Amino acid sequence: MQSTQSSASVPTDRATEFRPVEGGPNTTSAEALLIAAYFVLWALLFRFVLVSHRRQQVLTVRLDELERRLETNARSEP
Amino acid sequence: MRSGHGFLALFTITVAVVATLLAFVAFKVPVAQPEAGGLAQKIFYFHVPSAYAMYLSGAVCFVASAAYLLKLSERWNAWAHAAAECAALFGIIVLTSGPLWAKKAWGVYWTWDPRLTTSLLSCLIYIALVLLRTFGGAGEAERKFAAALGVLGTVNLPIIHYSVRKWGGNHPVVITKGGGGLGNDDMKLTLTVGFVAFTLLAVLLLWQRMRAHWLSSRVRLVEERALDLGLVKES
Repeated sequence: MQSTQSSASVPTDRATEFRPVEGGPNTTSAEALLIAAYFVLWALLFRFVLVSHRRQQVLTVRLDELERRLETNARSEP
Repeated sequence: MRSGHGFLALFTITVAVVATLLAFVAFKVPVAQPEAGGLAQKIFYFHVPSAYAMYLSGAVCFVASAAYLLKLSERWNAWAHAAAECAALFGIIVLTSGPLWAKKAWGVYWTWDPRLTTSLLSCLIYIALVLLRTFGGAGEAERKFAAALGVLGTVNLPIIHYSVRKWGGNHPVVITKGGGGLGNDDMKLTLTVGFVAFTLLAVLLLWQRMRAHWLSSRVRLVEERALDLGLVKES
């Protein structure tokens, strides 16, 4: 019963504080971190450029269409 | 037409320099000591240039926002909007690449170190600015408010730069004297290529985004004229 009570207080401490293990084995793979970092970089940059390029294409088409309509309207006016 | 050729030339040069940077990082630069993260330290060669590109975009945002407040011109507004987007993008790159490197070098992804905290703050300011400009409407009041935020938000950039010297923390000072990590000529050369690559990338993205916003404002103007003449229906 006592062990249940003492273990009940442990999760609270665990939930509020995380500490790195000083000098312990660092199991995170440097290769995985490096690849993840480069992947995120290029994914973000390519997406940014692609979205921007598509948006520009849509705007160019819209502008051409509007200018064509205005030109047609100006020609048809007496 | 000339602008299109200039953009294509800049794009080609940027791709070539970025490819050189990748080749240097992969084959030329040596792996750093384990305390610096070992192989993961190679993140450094675009993490630091990304932070510099965020400063550069932030500076453009500051100048363009101030110029917009003085002149209320569409062109300055387009530059300020583009610069805020680029600053947010490079800020996100810094704040994702940094923690991945920190996990290997420090053992944790994140710590409330002064430089990390002030960088996060700046990135959030630029994200807020982009959201405001995207969803806040295109009225003059909203644009002035966004421009004011663009001017005030940039104040945090020098604080990021000097925070590590004033308040210390985990983040090292590597580039200037007083801190050390670049004890190898190949490391220095690769970092220099990184700075050139990210300067070109920042200029290229700024230019592209500025053109998109400038085009968007032209579409709005022509649309208004067409609406007045009844040539298009209001959507």
